[in-house]
Amino acid sequence: MKKQNKTLIIALICIGIAAILPLFISNNYHLNLMIQVLINIIIVLGLNFITGLTGQMNLGTAGIFSMGAYTSALVATKSGVNPWICLILAAVMGIIIGVGLGYPSLRVSGVYLALTTIGFSEIVRVLMTNLTDLTGGALGVNNIPVFSIFGHEFRENKEIYYLYLVIALLLIFNAYRIVNSKWGRSFLAIKDNPEAINASGVNIAKLRIMAFTLTAVYSTIAGSLYAHYVGFMNPSAYNIEFSINYVVMLVIGGIGSVAGNIAGAILVTIVPELLRFIENYYWLVFSIITLLFVIFLPNGMLSLFNKKKSMKK
Amino acid sequence: MENNKESKTILELKNVTKRFAGLVAVKDLSLKMKERTIHSLIGPNGAGKSTVINMITGLLPLTDGEIYHRDTKISGMKAYQIAQTRCSRTFQNLKLYRSMTVKENIMTGMMMDMHQGFLPFMFDFKKARQEDKAMNEKADLILKFIGLQELSNEYPANMPYGKQKLTELARSLMLEPSLLFLDEPAAGLNPSERVEFVDIIMKVFESGIDIFLIEHNMDVIMNISDDITVINFGSKIAEGTPEQIQEDPLVIEAYLGDRYKKEHGKGGRKCLK
Ligand SMILES: Nc1ncnc2c1ncn2[C@@H]1O[C@H](COP(=O)(O)OP(=O)(O)OP(=O)(O)O)[C@@H](O)[C@H]1O
Ligand SMILES: [Mg+2]
Repeated sequence: MKKQNKTLIIALICIGIAAILPLFISNNYHLNLMIQVLINIIIVLGLNFITGLTGQMNLGTAGIFSMGAYTSALVATKSGVNPWICLILAAVMGIIIGVGLGYPSLRVSGVYLALTTIGFSEIVRVLMTNLTDLTGGALGVNNIPVFSIFGHEFRENKEIYYLYLVIALLLIFNAYRIVNSKWGRSFLAIKDNPEAINASGVNIAKLRIMAFTLTAVYSTIAGSLYAHYVGFMNPSAYNIEFSINYVVMLVIGGIGSVAGNIAGAILVTIVPELLRFIENYYWLVFSIITLLFVIFLPNGMLSLFNKKKSMKK
Repeated sequence: MENNKESKTILELKNVTKRFAGLVAVKDLSLKMKERTIHSLIGPNGAGKSTVINMITGLLPLTDGEIYHRDTKISGMKAYQIAQTRCSRTFQNLKLYRSMTVKENIMTGMMMDMHQGFLPFMFDFKKARQEDKAMNEKADLILKFIGLQELSNEYPANMPYGKQKLTELARSLMLEPSLLFLDEPAAGLNPSERVEFVDIIMKVFESGIDIFLIEHNMDVIMNISDDITVINFGSKIAEGTPEQIQEDPLVIEAYLGDRYKKEHGKGGRKCLK
């Protein structure tokens, strides 16, 4: 009970800060960064299910995210469907990808998921680039409509921020519930000791596919939100580096915990912007920081605040 | 606890064989375990004991033979399906979830009695809360039964080995097994921990759970077993009551040694009290 109250108070303070922050920010570039943070939080929360909890590496965030973004963008621009419906279709696409890729690669243990997701991402990128008639090829899709509620269109960065903050909070709450339920515990048990959870009557394959499907749905939702925010999509950015960046956020924040995921997403989105002045050395510095984290804080940043969990196992 | 001779068979192995590459770990083994008994499997190191439990619980496929739990043929089933026939187990080398507390470890021992599926969980908050509460209460009950209440929020790595073994036992009880497999529960425990563990095993048995036990400690075995099967190099060399086994020349030669016979008198569960 006590611990729950503490969690609730911290959560409310954070939500409060997130809600009043834009009142002090007028710079569009900073608002843009904050929206990007929200989108990244959603992706990392999703990645946490399969990679953080069940311990299966997903290197296909780029492909899954862009499938969500393109699904939403193409349906909206080609057939004029309401962006909210497009968002739901993107989520359905997430389910299809989750089951479709998860079923063949997660019934057996090993590194299959990492390989399949890398392959999937590359195929998606090649198709997006070459199916010119459908996707607009390298030029991409333009004029993707924005979300609207009761005729009010969300065009200003500030408005979009608040809208996406509400969506992100819902997804955070949902992730928190799952992580702290029998489902989250079973996911984690699969990583810690698959034989033991198997002997406890749990079908590991089914649970892994479920976790990956959750991952995929979070990523495609994030993709859709991104597409309707920036208004255009092209395939160039969605390579393996894009995917790895999210694994880095997951590792830096703290694998397994929702608060850690959020912290990792915020940090890894913002710090590079602060490090802009070192230009070419950026990746070097960033890689070193990541490496230090992996070596000295294997349980992530948040383990600094959680003594018990940070005890070396 | 009375023990009538016509009691039902709850576990039966029929001509079970396990081959690893060139090695025959278990050879044409048949045995029957009766309801409401503690049945022990003993034998020298490498005799194939753990392999037997691993096959019964589905972690290893059989090379040949059949296994029945009550009337269900469990050989060929997946491990999680076998667990769902109310078989649970502990492991010779502890398999705890190191990133979870003791209580979380225990709660994870049982998902199948929690019937709410994933989609209902996402939307029916009330039912989800009820289920979570029920699961917590069940875990608290088991924690108390095993005497681990004080450690419920501790992480396994911070506890002595004996407590870790108890945690694994507690987790196996969460499944509400009718048949429990224990692979060397007393190994690595100091004498006082061992006495505590034997008491708990007896408590578990008396609560209605039948126990299939692998153990090297002969005090433990002779004191609590109803029936004993002895294997050597994967083959059965003897079976019977503790008294019979202690007298069996083959067993003494292969496993117990002369020394044991001289030092110990009568066995049987009566000696415990
Ligand atoms: N997965 C495996 N692959 C290959 N060989 C194995 C495997 N598991 C066990 N063995 C071999 O099978 C034989 C029986 O092993 P098992 O672990 O069942 O013995 P045990 O009776 O439990 O011994 P102990 O008392 O030391 O626990 C041993 O020779 C062992 O090396
Ligand atoms: Mg063994």
